Amino acid sequence: MNTLCNIDNTYASYQKIISLYETNKGKIFDEIHVELKQWFAANMSATLGAVLDKLTADFNTIYFDYISPKIETVLQKNDFLTYFGKQRAVDVNNTTIKFQKLKPTDGKFFKNYVLEELIEDHDAALPQMSQGVKERIVEAIYEIFVNAQIHSNTEFIYTCGQFFPAKNKIEFTIVDTGIGFKEKINQRFGSKLTAVQAIKWAVQDKNTTKEGISGGIGLAVLKEFVEMNKGKMQIISREGFYQYDAKNEVSKEFKGAFPGTIVNLQFRTDDNSNYLLKNEIDIDDIF
Amino acid sequence: MTNITINIVNAIGDVYGVEAEDGQIVFELIVKAFNDKKKITLSFQNIEMLTTAFLNTAVGQLYKDYPESFIKESLKVSNISESGKVALKRVVDTAKLFYKDPEALKRSIDEISED
Repeated sequence: MNTLCNIDNTYASYQKIISLYETNKGKIFDEIHVELKQWFAANMSATLGAVLDKLTADFNTIYFDYISPKIETVLQKNDFLTYFGKQRAVDVNNTTIKFQKLKPTDGKFFKNYVLEELIEDHDAALPQMSQGVKERIVEAIYEIFVNAQIHSNTEFIYTCGQFFPAKNKIEFTIVDTGIGFKEKINQRFGSKLTAVQAIKWAVQDKNTTKEGISGGIGLAVLKEFVEMNKGKMQIISREGFYQYDAKNEVSKEFKGAFPGTIVNLQFRTDDNSNYLLKNEIDIDDIF
Repeated sequence: MTNITINIVNAIGDVYGVEAEDGQIVFELIVKAFNDKKKITLSFQNIEMLTTAFLNTAVGQLYKDYPESFIKESLKVSNISESGKVALKRVVDTAKLFYKDPEALKRSIDEISED
């Protein structure tokens, strides 16, 4: 039995999901029994979904033997459990951002998802979010999605999120089951970076693995925005864990490895900063 | 040199300039017009969302094959949002450095390896 207990957005929780993967990754044509107890943060559905998908790709069957009632309600509302044979439930509070499994080529579909889940549906639930912040949040989410499209060589991209109106927060998670930062960077440069070093390199401005074309701006811009917004970003790629917020930068290694990359973003929705004041640029002085 | 306008929304069939693939379409149109000795206005009218990934492919990679002075002389932008301007400027500045100093990335890898 694989029991996941108290899963939120901490290093320890990611470690629990990685351990579940490591325990079961050699199995073929087997049954994998899972229990979800006490608490499970809605946006972690993307992480768990990616791991369970890797296991079902080896013809294993997933059984949720027990899900605590509170968790079950959340995971029915955000559609996660509809992928595992449970009935969908209506989210009357309109605070979920649905679990979604997309192909990297589903860019147009992702656009509709973002419009429906982040922009249109939640207007009533989020009167305090200024237009400027909303735009920056959506931009950040796009940058991450496009990164997964371009860099990860993944088969699917998993996304999920949650609004917390009382805490003025939004969490959004994008997961792929692709190559990971370390392998990608080391292949490109013939280097031997660790997973943590690879993530730290990738979040630095102007660093890119693309050949013949500049880049490396998306993650750097995201980091700057996270700092101004007093939000938080986490990147989990293979054995590497990296967390950044306005106060702290934390990096650690996991025991075992996540089979891809997770980018988890937390933003404050009550941020009234004007992000453009300092940046007036003459349109004739761009090139 | 005659002037032409490239309307991005029309070129990519979308008001979201987000995917690198769509940026490539715009890039190829610009190259074609440059090769035909045209001056270009790149119109961002009705564009609602931009990513740096899109702008890197659409505009950034021009600096690989064309000198800065030529691009400055031949390319203008119109109807771009304030946030779009900020992103585009950053993409352009990054591209200029990238093609001037191709070894910079390798150096940054060495630096982080020593950490």
